[in-house]
Amino acid sequence: MKDKDKYNFPDADGRYGDFGGKYVSETLMSALEQLETTYENLKDKEEFKNEITDDLNNFVGRPSPLYFAKRWTEKLSGAKIYLKREDLNHTGAHKINNTVGQVLLAKHMGKKRIIAETGAGQHGVATAAVAARHGLECIIFMGEEDIERQSPNVYRMKLLGADVCPVTSGTRTLKDAMNEAMRDWVSNVDDTHYIIGSVAGPHPYPKIVRDFNSIVGIELKEQSRELFGRFPDKIIACVGGGSNAMGIFYPFLKDNSVDLIGVEAGGSGIDTGKHAAPLSDGSIGVLHGMKTYLMQDNSGQILSTQSVSAGLDYPGVGPEHSYLKDSGRVEYDSATDEEALDSFHDLTKTEGIMPALETAHALAHAKKIAPNMEKDEIIVVNLSGRGDKDMANVAKVEGLTL
Amino acid sequence: MSIIKSTFENLEKVNSKALVTYTVAGDPNLDTSEKIISEIVSSGADIIEIGVPFSDPMSEGPVIQMAHERSLINKTSLIDILSLSKKLKKKFKTTPIVLMGYFNTFINSLNSTKSNHDINEDICSELKKNGVDGLIIVDLPYEESEAIFKKLSKFEIDLIRLISPTTNDLRINEIISNSSGFLYYVSLKGITGADIDSYDELKKRVQQIKNSSNIPVVVGFGIKDQETASNMSSFADGVVVGSAIVDMIGDFEKEEHKVILNKISKFVGDIKSSIQ
Repeated sequence: MKDKDKYNFPDADGRYGDFGGKYVSETLMSALEQLETTYENLKDKEEFKNEITDDLNNFVGRPSPLYFAKRWTEKLSGAKIYLKREDLNHTGAHKINNTVGQVLLAKHMGKKRIIAETGAGQHGVATAAVAARHGLECIIFMGEEDIERQSPNVYRMKLLGADVCPVTSGTRTLKDAMNEAMRDWVSNVDDTHYIIGSVAGPHPYPKIVRDFNSIVGIELKEQSRELFGRFPDKIIACVGGGSNAMGIFYPFLKDNSVDLIGVEAGGSGIDTGKHAAPLSDGSIGVLHGMKTYLMQDNSGQILSTQSVSAGLDYPGVGPEHSYLKDSGRVEYDSATDEEALDSFHDLTKTEGIMPALETAHALAHAKKIAPNMEKDEIIVVNLSGRGDKDMANVAKVEGLTL
Repeated sequence: MSIIKSTFENLEKVNSKALVTYTVAGDPNLDTSEKIISEIVSSGADIIEIGVPFSDPMSEGPVIQMAHERSLINKTSLIDILSLSKKLKKKFKTTPIVLMGYFNTFINSLNSTKSNHDINEDICSELKKNGVDGLIIVDLPYEESEAIFKKLSKFEIDLIRLISPTTNDLRINEIISNSSGFLYYVSLKGITGADIDSYDELKKRVQQIKNSSNIPVVVGFGIKDQETASNMSSFADGVVVGSAIVDMIGDFEKEEHKVILNKISKFVGDIKSSIQ
């Protein structure tokens, strides 16, 4: 049997090889068990699947188009670049694919209160939107630093009826928002469901979030067959926690002809140490309930990270990515803040599409490799989110005031 | 016999309950930690829990979070804490020392290249050599640590497990058969330093656990004063006091050290007398 046919993770213990697991306080173990049982019982039921499909089609606006970036392709003069337009989803990113599913799980578990962490605010907005649609109370934890650099999304969440709770502990970014959400969950575990926004955290979250986001890869398979009569040569996605990447990679894991490339936040450059790229420059440890690659010092303390994009500014990564890195199935690289900003402008000016700064990291990698590829080769970039939320931040980084 | 076990047996002989105290190592610095803990032991604490600071203490309330942050300003590492433990053990030979912390600091600060991201025998031996009698690892449920439990047992280090209000009967039995030293019953659904809502429920749970096990059951989280301590000790084998002491340690920056040490000493003495 070939290796590719064996891929069946997570195993019964919630592990991807050595990675993953459930490293949480005892108080949360029963909630994780309840979530796992609920999900396993529902996921193959027709009624549940129909409910999700209906939401994806009519609330989110799926399927998302596969767009040929013609002018950018010509400019780079190499492989054809296609964009999987997750930016066109309702609320502006892939994050909603997960929240429409998890909110249904919450309802099935009888939970009345939804909490979530958010970095860039995209997951917060996607959570606030589904909570509003289902009439559930919603609290979003967001680092104080991120509240500053993503202010339009903060206001959106508030308009959607969510309470945005500023997190002032630690580094005041995504990892601390996740700590605070965990603390809230431990304190309100009976009536609260925690919608984790990435393929991170304790089992079963990495699996559930991957599965709900896999619609992206599933659609891409169908669209590729129709459009190219074959699969793309390379698929590129940015990786913070890694949910958009896992969503587009997962359906292709067994198709070895397709190169899968995850791009981490290189910040000021990997060699400066100021980045958010645990797969490129981290070591194995345990944080937020999972064993995975982390950015940490030699005393096991988690390091603060640096990235121009709040959504990638996280010292860990989903455990399945750690496994896929070690197994070699997925190649991981990084793009610096500067390269990301450069591609942000490129795409905006060349294609009339303003990408999120997170997504711009994946675009930066496409820009690096496309010119060295043949003209009949095909790259698909997961255009995971739109950049409207980043305008104030980009202006600030570039020394402008709006 | 493990020193933790003999501590409980000795207390039982004199019809007393265990006072377990929690402070964070290196808060505000290691030398002061040594003084504070020495004062606490002299004032009546039976078991010392030493908090190992972590950058992301997910189960802690604001008071203990701040203590972790204060300690990490000085970059307190597990290696520093082991030398603190060694010194304390020399001074107080019969007082058990339990390290309490998060898994990552245990697997990534000692022999990290050889540890294979686990608590291996080298680490167990380091802990033992430096006077550590037990470990409480907040984010390590039994599912992830059966092998670790066995390794620690070989070195006569107790792995103390938490049981919470949400732990179902099946899990309680599994936990009991994978722990030693004492069981740490978390009195509430929440973080350290929060408020307890129902003593009746708590009492029922603790009695249920005691009925199915010979391991002493100690109650922690939410014990702030003589009254709460006295209530708890009427049905548990001991109580843990953490946030209340750590809160006083937070004043070291602004008050005279002697005044605070006296306050802590009086507080510990009062709690001990209320759980006799």
